[in-house]
Amino acid sequence: MINFKTIKAILIDCALGAYSILVTYKVVYEKLLQDIRYADFSWNEPLLALGIGAVLGLVFFGWEGFSVGKRVMGIYNPPFGQPFIKAPYKFLSLLAIALTFVAGLHYSQVSVYEFLSESGLEGARKIFIALATPNFSIFEETMFAAIETIYMAFIATVFSLPFAFGLSFFAARNLMKANAFWRLLYVVTRFVLNVTRSIEPLVWAIVLSVWVGIGPFAGMLALCVHSVVSLAKLYSEQIETINEGPMEAMIATGAHPIQVIWYGVVPQIILPFLSYTIYKWDINVRMATVIGLVGGGGIGTLLMQYQGLAKWHEVGLIVMVIAFIVWVMDYSSAKIREAIK
Amino acid sequence: MNILEVKSLYKTYPNGCQALKDVSFEVAQGEFLVVIGLSGSGKSTLLRCINRIHPASSGQIIFEGQEVTGLKGKELRKLRSQIGMIFQHFNLVPRKSAMVNVLTGVLARVGIMRSVLGLFSKEDQTEAIEKIKIVNLAGKEDVRADNLSGGQQQRVSIARALMQRPKLLLADEPVASLDPATSNSVMQYLEKINKEMGVTVICNLHFLSLVRRYATRVIALKGGEIVFRGTPEQITEEWFKTIYGEDAVEVSVH
Ligand SMILES: Nc1ncnc2c1ncn2[C@@H]1O[C@H](COP(=O)(O)OP(=O)(O)O)[C@@H](O)[C@H]1O
Ligand SMILES: [Mg+2]
Repeated sequence: MINFKTIKAILIDCALGAYSILVTYKVVYEKLLQDIRYADFSWNEPLLALGIGAVLGLVFFGWEGFSVGKRVMGIYNPPFGQPFIKAPYKFLSLLAIALTFVAGLHYSQVSVYEFLSESGLEGARKIFIALATPNFSIFEETMFAAIETIYMAFIATVFSLPFAFGLSFFAARNLMKANAFWRLLYVVTRFVLNVTRSIEPLVWAIVLSVWVGIGPFAGMLALCVHSVVSLAKLYSEQIETINEGPMEAMIATGAHPIQVIWYGVVPQIILPFLSYTIYKWDINVRMATVIGLVGGGGIGTLLMQYQGLAKWHEVGLIVMVIAFIVWVMDYSSAKIREAIK
Repeated sequence: MNILEVKSLYKTYPNGCQALKDVSFEVAQGEFLVVIGLSGSGKSTLLRCINRIHPASSGQIIFEGQEVTGLKGKELRKLRSQIGMIFQHFNLVPRKSAMVNVLTGVLARVGIMRSVLGLFSKEDQTEAIEKIKIVNLAGKEDVRADNLSGGQQQRVSIARALMQRPKLLLADEPVASLDPATSNSVMQYLEKINKEMGVTVICNLHFLSLVRRYATRVIALKGGEIVFRGTPEQITEEWFKTIYGEDAVEVSVH
């Protein structure tokens, strides 16, 4: 019996087999056992692995205790309480995870030696002491940069509000089911929002700084783009949970669609919207700091400058101020959100 | 004169569910028509087809001599504005006062901008206060709808419907979520509107005791088809079993 599920199961076994073989050869054998620094790479290697994986997948297909794919797709259901030893597919899954772990350690260059080397420890001691004894002579400069960051985040949130608000109605499934045209508009809106949201604000900052020049404006625009899409998603999810009764009642009075939305939908969502918006401002302050690191202005940029000059006492002060701001924003936004619930 | 004529109305939902099959009936001006039937028999669907919240699949609906099944946009909204609707769960706008809720009954007559800004005219406000008085809620104007009791909420929704100055009132199980005493009081408001203001009423009901007390005429739906037409007195034991099934026992609300 060949159906969609069995095909998926075979593909999973095939991919898992190919992956395990490739990692075993390229990382465990070449890098760790042979210690080859610049290993040759040819596309034949993954192709060969894929071939072996395909063979393994087909073999395992007839041998279901071994097939991870069959188990995942729910085709093979072992009796409850089956001993571990009789479930080879579990060992195979664990093997794949262990291989990934080993490869991960290798690629992130985990080195106990460097972590505990004498010069390394000495450097750590110096920097931690410097960070712990911040230089307060740049306090004013830091404060102004921090204010810049907070306002930048605020403006980004405010500018994004009307766009997110407007878009959220088009991204709410329950409002967009009238006919094919609206359903299509819903799908398109969702798609654009998802694609835009999958691009990190940091990347937006880099792109936009080419457009409007490096500085707070680029950072603000980047935050704005990100806020619009993430708020639109949060808002629209809120709209999807409303009670449709009031909406139906407004339709029944002969109200125009805009009036239906205004009276039938908005009163039900306004408080959650406000709460999300404040939360977003809080998040934007943190993001503005990170965006500052790539030249988006504010306290992040200041941090970057002093770090570049290796002035660790100054960096210590900036870090302290950032921690303070994040804590204050976090605390007050939580309090405000609680109050308006 | 017939205010409403429904001719071989069919309704099939997009999921294929056939909710109404060949439903035809007339409603004369001033009647209190009650629709009965088991839950799922198509009562709510029927009311929602009349004010076009749901589009009919085929058949004709003639309101005051005008065929309304094809209406769109502004015309459709005008039709709806002449037909008040009362719901089982009241469907008031939460977080808004009773006053604002009653005022939403005039949305069809107010400009979009004005209504979004909440700028209702003096006349509309006076009228709203009047309607609130009719349902005996004077003094509750500024109470938030969600802070009122069930019976009070239903009365606000009646005032909202009155604000439309309706020619026809559709009530979809208006007392199904109220206790017996409150049920009777709400039904009495509907009766008053019907008798004193001359508004034609079509009302879905569950309890036969209420049907007997308030209906001038009854139709019964079963599986989307009309299986009974007549006066409340004509609902005999046999008819009752036909409509509600062999095992049904009549319970009453006093
Ligand atoms: N929006 C809908 N989509 C699909 N089927 C529906 C919908 N609303 C009601 N139905 C179906 O139509 C039939 C009649 O429902 P309804 O008119 O609500 O009956 P009643 O009000 O008498 O309980 C039921 O079988 C119900 O499941
Ligand atoms: Mg119903």
